Amino acid sequence: MDIQLKRGLLDVCVLKAIKNEDSYGYKIIKDMKPYVEISESTLYPILRRLETSQMLSVYSVEHNGRLRKYYRITENGLKRIEDFKCEWKEIMSIYEYITKEDDNE
Amino acid sequence: MNKNQFIAELKKRLKGLSEIDINKSVDYYGELIDDSVEDGMSEEEAIASLGNIDDIATQIVMDTPITKLVKEKVKHRRTLRVWEIILLVLGSPLWVSLLIAFFSVVLSVYISAWAVVVSLYAVVLSVAVATLIVTVGIFVSLMKGLFLNTLIFLALTLICAGLTILLFIGSSYFAKGLVVLIKLIAKGIKYSFVGRSAK
Repeated sequence: MDIQLKRGLLDVCVLKAIKNEDSYGYKIIKDMKPYVEISESTLYPILRRLETSQMLSVYSVEHNGRLRKYYRITENGLKRIEDFKCEWKEIMSIYEYITKEDDNE
Repeated sequence: MNKNQFIAELKKRLKGLSEIDINKSVDYYGELIDDSVEDGMSEEEAIASLGNIDDIATQIVMDTPITKLVKEKVKHRRTLRVWEIILLVLGSPLWVSLLIAFFSVVLSVYISAWAVVVSLYAVVLSVAVATLIVTVGIFVSLMKGLFLNTLIFLALTLICAGLTILLFIGSSYFAKGLVVLIKLIAKGIKYSFVGRSAK
């Protein structure tokens, strides 16, 4: 898949993974696995990017004598998911247009 | 590789980033290893599943904005610069005199090179003047009716004129060569400065 396109999609996927409850790195990867494979090194820049664009917030929780970072979705993040749904309708109509032309040939 | 080794290796590869960025990355990967182990993996397996450590480090650096990287570089340079200034001030009796000596040597080489050119042209000029004088000699001998003297003066005139022409051509080539050489040296000095500042 096109890298730029995939990157945009993964951003929304990560937001979805923390939408219903706050989550942490390992769990995000595990939860996404059935739908999309994401490596640890791919997730890292996405989390940082979403943090700087304030789509999620980060806090640490003590777990088994160590700190674990939890990610919580923000208003901006929720809006991003909604925007994506609208964008996707546009993309679907573009897709229809592209495949229709194929049939005519 | 165990977790501590992995983190030490990662830190080594992220040198040049800010401490905050390094710690964030290290915390992230450390947490993932811990969580994997908690989920039943061995430490070795967990680290292996992260992939190649060089790729991980490269990606972190690539994802850091260039402005941040430059800022970090400049910050490091500034701390160095304080020491540089102290060293420069302390060492000034030494390096100032060395610098003066260096420039006087360069200047004297430059001047002497041009002095050779000047002296070459002086020789050309003197031969040219000699040519004129012996030419006068031809007419004087002719008027006095001394045939042999006239012949000798004519021969001398021809020799002098030939020498003048040959020496003039030779000197011109020497001067042109010198200009080219000086330009080359100047270019070399300039490039060495550009190279140094670009690093």
